[in-house]
Amino acid sequence: MRIANPHLLLRRLHSLFGLLPVGAFLVFHLWENSQSRFGAAHYNGEVVAVLQRLNYLPVLEIVVIALPLLFHAGYGLVILSQMRAEPRRYRYLRNWLYVMQRVSGIGILLFLILHVGMTRIESIWRVTVREDLFGHMQHLLTQPWIFTVYVVGLLLSVLHLANGMATLGIVWGLTTSAYAQRLFGSVCALFGLLLVAIGIHGLLGFLS
Amino acid sequence: MSTINLRIRRQDNPDSQPYWQAFSIPAAADHNVVSVLLALRDNPVTTSGERVAPVIWDHNCMEEVCGSCAMLINGVPRPACSALIDSLIQPIRLEPMPKFPVVRDLLVDRSCMDASLRRVKAWIEIDGAWDTGLGAPRIAPVAWSANYLYSRCMSCGVCLSACPQFGSHSDFIGAAPLAQVRLMNAHPTGRYDKTERLHAIMGAGGLSDCGNAQNCVRVCPKGIPLTTAIGELGRQTTLQALQDLFGESTPSL
Repeated sequence: MRIANPHLLLRRLHSLFGLLPVGAFLVFHLWENSQSRFGAAHYNGEVVAVLQRLNYLPVLEIVVIALPLLFHAGYGLVILSQMRAEPRRYRYLRNWLYVMQRVSGIGILLFLILHVGMTRIESIWRVTVREDLFGHMQHLLTQPWIFTVYVVGLLLSVLHLANGMATLGIVWGLTTSAYAQRLFGSVCALFGLLLVAIGIHGLLGFLS
Repeated sequence: MSTINLRIRRQDNPDSQPYWQAFSIPAAADHNVVSVLLALRDNPVTTSGERVAPVIWDHNCMEEVCGSCAMLINGVPRPACSALIDSLIQPIRLEPMPKFPVVRDLLVDRSCMDASLRRVKAWIEIDGAWDTGLGAPRIAPVAWSANYLYSRCMSCGVCLSACPQFGSHSDFIGAAPLAQVRLMNAHPTGRYDKTERLHAIMGAGGLSDCGNAQNCVRVCPKGIPLTTAIGELGRQTTLQALQDLFGESTPSL
């Protein structure tokens, strides 16, 4: 039987990319940057330098992170037009999470333009960003508005991933019973709280 | 309370503007929304004393099994016959079911649900070159009782009107037809057409247009586990997509 209709495959690809590689990269990214706690010398010399020494790094960044993220975001924006949410009429947790999943998607997109622009993109022409990323981040995050934007970006990203994992379980048919969906939802919520803790820990590390 | 106060959204024809009218009828024991509308039909006079055309709505069984009287009652989609007046805050606001084209007053056109059921082949094929039925099909009691839940669907459309992904803006078929795919695929004879049904819901407007807001399962008057059906169909379509991509496994039976 040949694939007659690519619709389901596109949706499933969108779902899969949210978890792998994009979600997995978020987990790695938060863990990586939580090491800001160990100070500028360790962060610049051990954490950032090791990554910067990777062979074919730009290829990995584009193929493993940027392109799947762009597909996930772009297709997400297309799907967004199907929403006619009524969060005030139907005050259920899952309905609110449904709305938040879409709102956070837009928020994350705006945050990433700022975040990637003032770090990875800026480092292309500013050597100091590459050589002293810790100092650069410290300079950014000591400004209250940027720190606030980063905290909001972190919360939205983790919410989007955690809730995305919970619905991914339903979409792929991992969780079918209401009990399983609730249980896995709680597991995802705990996972999200852990990620927020790691992320806040990392952000505060740059201020010390 | 000695009277029952109603605010009803009226609409004279499919293309005209809706407007509101207030009515008041004497209170009586054991009224539900349908019986109130029946009483109002005898004397359709608004609270300002104007005699108006009787309110049009759909109703039939009066025991919450036909699904025809579903409407928006105090902002919540539900069957009118099982909406007891004593349990409602007054004035009771009655509106036609959202997301469906209004025919007149509280009467809506739900024929899109029939089209969706046809599209997903929500029936069991018993005509063939040989006796497809194979006599009375045997089925485990556990499977039977799980299937029974989905067989109670009365196509009232409440799950669809509460769905943020369903409406004139989208071609999503909604939870009710999807649950029937779950039911028919589990039937001993119906499973022969499982692949065809799964392919029907794997296209645009099918299963993957569900946004997992899960309002459907909250508002379903029959308590049908719609989101479990969606999860089970997620699993069935995952396996079906793998079979489509990588080839069939050896058919069982």
